[in-house]
Amino acid sequence: MITNWLSEPSLTAAILATLLPFAAFILIMVFTRKYPRLSAGLSIAAVGISLISALFLLVRHWHLQTPLEYTGRWLLSGDVAVPFGYLLDQTSLLMLSVVATISFLVQVYSLGYMAGDAGFSRYYACMSLFAWAMMSMTLSPTMLQLYIFWELVGLASYLLIGFWYEKFSATEAGKKAFVMTRFGDVAFFLGLLLVLVHLGNLNVLEMNGPQVATRMSSTYITIAALLIFGGIIGKSAQFPLLTWLPDAMEGPTPVSALLHSATMVAAGVYLFGRLFPFFSQSAAAMAIFLMIGTVSMLLASTMAMVSRDIKQVWAYSTISQLGFMIMGLAAGSYFAGMFHLTTHAGFKALLFLCAGVFIHSFESNDMFDIGRQGGRRLKIPMACTIIAAAALAGLPPLSGFFSKEVILGALAELNNPLWLAAGLLGAFLTAYYTFRLIFIILFPRQSGAESESGHGHDHGGYWVMGWPLIVLAAITVLLGFFQGALEAFFSGQQGIPVAGAGHHGWLPFAAIGLALGGVLLAWLEFGRQGADQVGFVEKIAPLNHLFAQRWYIDRFYRRFMDVFIYGVVSNLFTRNDKKVIDGGLDGLSQATVETGRLVSLLHRGMVQYRLLTIFVVLVFLGLYFFI
Amino acid sequence: MIVPFNHVLILAGLLFLMGIFCVVARRSLIMILLGVEVMLNAAAILLVGASLRWQNLDGQAIVLFVFAIAAAEVSVGLALIVWAYRRTGSINPENYNILK
Repeated sequence: MITNWLSEPSLTAAILATLLPFAAFILIMVFTRKYPRLSAGLSIAAVGISLISALFLLVRHWHLQTPLEYTGRWLLSGDVAVPFGYLLDQTSLLMLSVVATISFLVQVYSLGYMAGDAGFSRYYACMSLFAWAMMSMTLSPTMLQLYIFWELVGLASYLLIGFWYEKFSATEAGKKAFVMTRFGDVAFFLGLLLVLVHLGNLNVLEMNGPQVATRMSSTYITIAALLIFGGIIGKSAQFPLLTWLPDAMEGPTPVSALLHSATMVAAGVYLFGRLFPFFSQSAAAMAIFLMIGTVSMLLASTMAMVSRDIKQVWAYSTISQLGFMIMGLAAGSYFAGMFHLTTHAGFKALLFLCAGVFIHSFESNDMFDIGRQGGRRLKIPMACTIIAAAALAGLPPLSGFFSKEVILGALAELNNPLWLAAGLLGAFLTAYYTFRLIFIILFPRQSGAESESGHGHDHGGYWVMGWPLIVLAAITVLLGFFQGALEAFFSGQQGIPVAGAGHHGWLPFAAIGLALGGVLLAWLEFGRQGADQVGFVEKIAPLNHLFAQRWYIDRFYRRFMDVFIYGVVSNLFTRNDKKVIDGGLDGLSQATVETGRLVSLLHRGMVQYRLLTIFVVLVFLGLYFFI
Repeated sequence: MIVPFNHVLILAGLLFLMGIFCVVARRSLIMILLGVEVMLNAAAILLVGASLRWQNLDGQAIVLFVFAIAAAEVSVGLALIVWAYRRTGSINPENYNILK
């Protein structure tokens, strides 16, 4: 791999794409921390070249037939070789492009958003680290390498969520994200070990290949799939590990945009796509995935219906859309999940970046507050939010509509109509809560302060922050029309079972109808003249409470922590610490002191002690010689 | 031999241990000397017993020598103790540690 890497343009591009952000990270951390502008320039240049390389790879391998794999030995121990390298196939190429695009746009946007922040250089260093980890993860040829970068993604997101470390809630949120995802990662790692024991290596292509079924019994495949899915649950914030994502709002908004669209949470779904043939060998595991996806999707939708925090609404919507993707994948349609992942990355980044502009301009997260201060005066973000929200709600002709349609089509293929019903309900709820937010900002009730609220415009960073929005909006509008092309792109991939694309003529109409119904309900309650802007959920106090408290999941964890972790586990460990470890050490030192005192008797010049020693030695000698 | 040889062995062993205890534990030069005497006597008892057991007079002959040596040892030892007491005013062995 090393010898002729210059003669392989694909490999050169892959190396450039993945290594440059890392180089930027090192350079910024070591040399340019004092010069924020230089740091930002370095980071953006690195990720820009990554973007170009990624697009080059995508175009060059558009008609890829067999996956390209470049590996070199990284570690060699006995007959165990740990390879390291790049795997280029449809899944990784598409994801690489998505990650590079979003990272690039978010970093440009951050020039405006983070201007003047004390940790500007540190911010860009972490962003580079994030981009590097995520892009290297997508190109990993083995699960071990993927796992390493998977953890690095977790580390980078921890650093960025807790970026404003002087804020207590931010460090808490970072910690929560780290610990909760780690919880899933333990299961992930165990699953990998299980596969390793049976298969002998962790090569992605081999895990996806047909020979797995011959080497592992179906029970073990199910167990391994479930354990690996634990990592996905943690990373993609699915039920029951979903509460870290809403708290991750404590980081800077561009970080949220990156986290929610292309990097952190997308990593989970990407892993699902990566190992899709492996997972699909176990029908039982797939059924459980489908259930988890559905539950997360519906739970998060209900939470989003009552939240007042603009970022939090989008966070819940991310969970619910990730649930959607997992539903699509678990329903057996590989293309559905990956397509929705791609479109979602576009419009969710757009939503967060727009929210960032609002928050930056009005210094408030509360949607009522933003509306009152004149959020609709900010033309570009408002228009972009509406476009992205419509895409999120699944309205044609935006990208979200197409990808949601594919997922619903996959769900309709299933025998049980319950899943399709849940999917449609989710679509309805999504439309409702999305447009609730839009109408609240667009039609504020008491708009007294609106006259002098145009101050958002004279922010220097407005245009810097503006044009990534426009690019993303264009992607959101146009991406849906590339569905056919993407489908053809993915059809070249081997080992992916082709889902029977049955035709359900009524489905798009039902979906559009429900989405429009959701919008209409939101309009009746929030938009129209004289509406009291109180949702039907908020009128039912217990329901409102339940949703606002996130179904008491956090409360449950709190109690679980108090009762089980602190009450039982930590108590036992404290005891062990005091009694066994401390006691053992104390005993040891006590014994040493006592022995020392005994030995010191010999040095007192006292004749009787010497006599005693002589006798004892003689007794032992006698025992030794005569017995 | 009316007394079983085992009993002789036990008696001699006990006496020897008592001698050791006396030598090691008592804080007096005279008692140390006494302990040594007791140990010598324990050995002498064993020798007598053994000579009876195997019907061999060598053991009893050696015991006579032991008595003579013991008497000589006690006289020299006591004389040394008296002299040491005159020099230092103490017969406690803890005070005789100038070679430390």
